Amino acid sequence: MDNETLLRVILLTPLAAAVVSAFFFRRSRIVAPAISVTAAGVILVASLALLLGLDPANPSASATLPGFALGGFRELETIGLSIDGNGAAMLFAVTFVAFWIHVFSVGYMDDDKARGRFFAGLSVFMFSILGIILADNLFMTFIFWELVGFSSYMLIAHYYDTDYASMASKKAFIANRVGDLGFLVGIILCYAQYGTTNFAELEALVANGEMTFTSIGLLLMCGFLGKSAQFPLHVWLTDAMAGPTPVSALIHAATMVAAGVFFMVRIFFLLTPEVLTAMLWLCAGMAALGGLCALGQTDIKKSLAYSTLSHLGFMGAAIGLGLPEIALLHMGMHAFFKATLFLCSGSVIHACHHEQDMTKMGGLLKKMPLTAAAFVVAGLSICAFPWMAGWYSKDMILSGAYLQGNMPAFIALAVAALGTTLYIGRMFAMVFLGKAHGRGAEHAKESSPWMTLPLVVLGVIFSLGAGWFLAGTDGLSWLGGKMNALFPASATTVFSEGYHELHERLAEAGLVTPMFVLGVAILVVGLGLAVVFYRTSTGEDRLRERSPAIYKALEYRYMDTLYGWYISKVQQRFAMLVALFDMALINMLAVRGVVAGIPAVLGSVSRRFIQNGNGAVPVFWTAFGALVVAAALVSGVLS
Amino acid sequence: MNGSSMLLQIAVAVPLAAAALMLFSGRFSAGVRKAVAGLGFCVPAVIALALFALFPSAEKLGGYAFVSRCESFGVPELSVWLQFGLNGISLPLFLMAAFVGAAAGIRALSTKDVAQPGLYFAVILVMFGGVLGVFSAIDVFSFYIFHEFALIPTFIAILLWGGYARKTTALTMAIYLTLGAMVSLAGLVALYFALPETYPFSFRGIRDAVAAGEIFDGNVSVIFALLLFGFGILVSLFPFHTWAPDTYASAPTPVSMLHAGVLKKFGLYGLIQLGALALPQGLAEWQNWIIWLALGNIVLIGLIAMTQKDLKQMVAYSSVMHMGPIFLGIAAFAISGGNTAGLGGAVVLMFAHGLSVALLFHLGQAVCDRTGTYEMAKMGGLTAKAPVLAAFFVAATMASIGLPGFANFWGELTIFASLAQIQPSWLLGAIVLSIVISAIYGLRAVAKIFYGKNSGIALTEEQFEKVRDITPAERVPALILFAALVAVGFVPSLITKNIDETLTRDFAPAANVLRGDVVADEEAVPAEPLVEGEVIILDGVLPALPAVPAEPCEPCGENAGAPAGELAKTITVSVSGAVENPGEFTLDEASATLLKLFEQTKIDPSATFVSVLRVDGRFAFDLEELRSGDAEDIPLEDGDKISIE
Repeated sequence: MDNETLLRVILLTPLAAAVVSAFFFRRSRIVAPAISVTAAGVILVASLALLLGLDPANPSASATLPGFALGGFRELETIGLSIDGNGAAMLFAVTFVAFWIHVFSVGYMDDDKARGRFFAGLSVFMFSILGIILADNLFMTFIFWELVGFSSYMLIAHYYDTDYASMASKKAFIANRVGDLGFLVGIILCYAQYGTTNFAELEALVANGEMTFTSIGLLLMCGFLGKSAQFPLHVWLTDAMAGPTPVSALIHAATMVAAGVFFMVRIFFLLTPEVLTAMLWLCAGMAALGGLCALGQTDIKKSLAYSTLSHLGFMGAAIGLGLPEIALLHMGMHAFFKATLFLCSGSVIHACHHEQDMTKMGGLLKKMPLTAAAFVVAGLSICAFPWMAGWYSKDMILSGAYLQGNMPAFIALAVAALGTTLYIGRMFAMVFLGKAHGRGAEHAKESSPWMTLPLVVLGVIFSLGAGWFLAGTDGLSWLGGKMNALFPASATTVFSEGYHELHERLAEAGLVTPMFVLGVAILVVGLGLAVVFYRTSTGEDRLRERSPAIYKALEYRYMDTLYGWYISKVQQRFAMLVALFDMALINMLAVRGVVAGIPAVLGSVSRRFIQNGNGAVPVFWTAFGALVVAAALVSGVLS
Repeated sequence: MNGSSMLLQIAVAVPLAAAALMLFSGRFSAGVRKAVAGLGFCVPAVIALALFALFPSAEKLGGYAFVSRCESFGVPELSVWLQFGLNGISLPLFLMAAFVGAAAGIRALSTKDVAQPGLYFAVILVMFGGVLGVFSAIDVFSFYIFHEFALIPTFIAILLWGGYARKTTALTMAIYLTLGAMVSLAGLVALYFALPETYPFSFRGIRDAVAAGEIFDGNVSVIFALLLFGFGILVSLFPFHTWAPDTYASAPTPVSMLHAGVLKKFGLYGLIQLGALALPQGLAEWQNWIIWLALGNIVLIGLIAMTQKDLKQMVAYSSVMHMGPIFLGIAAFAISGGNTAGLGGAVVLMFAHGLSVALLFHLGQAVCDRTGTYEMAKMGGLTAKAPVLAAFFVAATMASIGLPGFANFWGELTIFASLAQIQPSWLLGAIVLSIVISAIYGLRAVAKIFYGKNSGIALTEEQFEKVRDITPAERVPALILFAALVAVGFVPSLITKNIDETLTRDFAPAANVLRGDVVADEEAVPAEPLVEGEVIILDGVLPALPAVPAEPCEPCGENAGAPAGELAKTITVSVSGAVENPGEFTLDEASATLLKLFEQTKIDPSATFVSVLRVDGRFAFDLEELRSGDAEDIPLEDGDKISIE
């Protein structure tokens, strides 16, 4: 198959699967999951075929689908699909992780009656995220951006009969839409300014000396803030945990939230230094905040959600530091270990009969060895244990901050790194160590192979070795140069250059060893502290026991409260004021007054009939009256 | 008049005929009555689809396909005729009208416990026939009259079958909308007088006048203002919107579907085909008014929609809100200095919004049928018992808030993109705010009605258990509307290709005006012999051209591909009356004028008048003036019937 066909297959397969599932098999228990998993498999195979066929030095391919055009708006005359180095990397990460999460879902959702709806939703999501990866212009990106928001809404609302899910889905969609507002305005201004929204053309224009604008960059960043849940639009991500765990793993950890990062990396050439500074501050701050707030959540998924916020902050900060390749690298690595962590939590939740409170777990190390193993590897990876996947990216970002001399950013990121180790250690201690503190945990046993196999693949294998293509100078290439360690070679090109270049600069500044030591120190101190502190938990969060004030400060949802206040006290009240104005001034005074006055003025005859209450006659008289007025108008105009 | 133009007339006539039959329905059984009404509702939809399929290959006159004229209706002296036809802009709207009418009709047929069902169906059928006529009429006065035709049943429906406060609502609505209709009538009449006499007062005629460079100046601003505010009232432009929420909340659901979905688009359609096409300077002058008032629609009405606790009121306010972007799309033509993308987006959004708002009213009625109320706070958890209804409702909400995959998105996106040059640029942010506002109230409604648990207020637990999912009678209309939304949502070129062609062809002169290349009257008519590459308007009224040299000129437009040397095409006209040899005559197309015809046939010296009858209308000329040279020679078209008196 040639690249064009492969691209079309990749994009359209999940759409076909979604349509078939939605219309025909929504209530079926077996067929819908089968369709979805098969589709995910087809996508993975097609993606690998595409990636292995691309030239690693210069990966690129493109295809088109028919679009539309109106008047002077011809941007979407053909829907263009294209892949470059960035896209190749994200394509592999997304399709690979998504496939294993599909497999996991088969096991996880085995007791759910609405599996058909769930899997159809997953297919819609796959279609949308692949569209973002393959889009070749801004408008196309926006289309799939919105669709991703919709699939997220649908999947969060899976357990629709709970108020929690109902509210969370609405919140997610609206927060995303607020970001989309700025995003769309930015896209339109970009279109007005440059005359095109095609990525390749824009890059060429800027390279040739066209100006870049802070306003456009900031507006486009709004999309990133919404999708990747950064300040001030981060409030939806923790509540999005209301969705089933595979959804949290796929959408709200590995792929959708990463789409924002992917996009910013793609348009990096459009970002002015002011925009980068803004990103750095917002995201580094979020990284630190997220890392600490994760310690204030007893729900395992919410804790991981804060962890995601924190790591997205890392990625954004990397972009802000001018290291887009490292940001993308962290995005790729993060997809593997965060998905694993979420899947582990899913496995644990499922085994404890849908218990999500960590204080009621415990002692699961012996009962669920595979899950525990995956958790340990993924956990060490996220804490940047040397030579594991996370180490390559996370420590690089930290080092990059120090190299630039940006101390506040460095400290914030270091705090975030420490926070990571603390909350991972805490999670491990509370869930796997000690004794079981709840009925569910007491009767837990290892999950079915549907669930443990993805855990082993993503957790033990990929969280460990995903980054090995960066080892040495050329990684570990095999299969005739088409594969590099665990990645297709064409998916690694975008990383290698940026990584090695940064590595050289660090070596010149003599920072390689100090940073290594710092990383290990954070790891050891954080993990050690946390495990020691939390392993003696007894049904209650130990920090809350020891220092309720600190715990409360970490737990409190500041922005949520602010938004809640704004909505009820400001927005609703203003809206009611407008409604009152509409009712009183426009409707009552102006309209009723004037409009009722016309027939009244035109004759007492009509007045008598109106008060009579007889329906048809006043209509006749008022029409007559209106005709007279109109005749006057007409002749007045023409004279 | 060929088969497909007959189809068009049939499509408009069938609902009206069915309505007439309903008057005798006392003698029929309920089944027969429903069958006749059902035919009246569904046949136009089938015909509309057929016409849609036939459109690309149909023969077009002036861009209009399926052109036909009803001989029996008309006022010859004013050259007002009942003429039908569809062009790229009216085709999707006609299609939308047919679908909404079918859906509204099936909804009406399945409504239980209606007093005087025969009259009910008749009223809705008349309304349906009226809206079909609105979009298929080429003649401007017929266009207006069909609108009135469709409007009056609304008053009657509210009075007889309406909800709360129906008398006041009907009265206010009657006065308000009649006022709007009168103002727009004034504008139309002013337009009539401003049009040069040689052109018939039809969309085609105006288009031809514009193409020939005879765009009016002077009173343009006043005429446009009359049209804008007259149509604006009818389309619920802020602040002339207050009739809408009460009307839609009070009217029976099929009437709301037809009115909000289709009838409101009359004014916007008129603004595009008349205002933007013929009065671009007027549009440019009033563009700021349109911007700020439309912004009022979006932001202020949007905020009000957010406070609504009643579902039907919320949908009503949302339909008013969505008129804002459509007006902005029309204004974008002027704002962007002649880019027709905004107009195209406006047409697409009109198509999409008609379908989606009708779907929302329909599903809202379905919800009310199950819970007994429209108050959303009293509902809850309906998905558990009616999952398919929930899926449809979520889809309808997603369509109306502009999610990609539904037709509304393409319209909104094109409109927003066409406003790129709006000044000041923060207005763009305020306009795009509509996507957030509509999401807020839309999703809030979905959550309150379908998610969570049953609140127990509208329905007790027992009643809740008995709630049924969507019935076949409800499913069919929903599917019709949903399928159309999704089809165009995934393949927008289904309708945008036709719209784009019409826009490019017809709106070029207006675009030139807006761009600043004003073409003076004298210059528009080419005085030199045809030159290579000259743009020639082919199927409009030809201005008096000098004799064309025999060498073939560069093929262009629709004649591209005609073999060289055969360009001397001929036309056939028929002559009757005071002539020596009446019958058919063939003339060279390029030099076909009345005087040329008189060379071929001798005229009775006592004849004083010649009248030319063609599809557009009947024109009368004074023979004396023609012979003496006081009047200009008249060019002829193929199929003209000339009678000498």
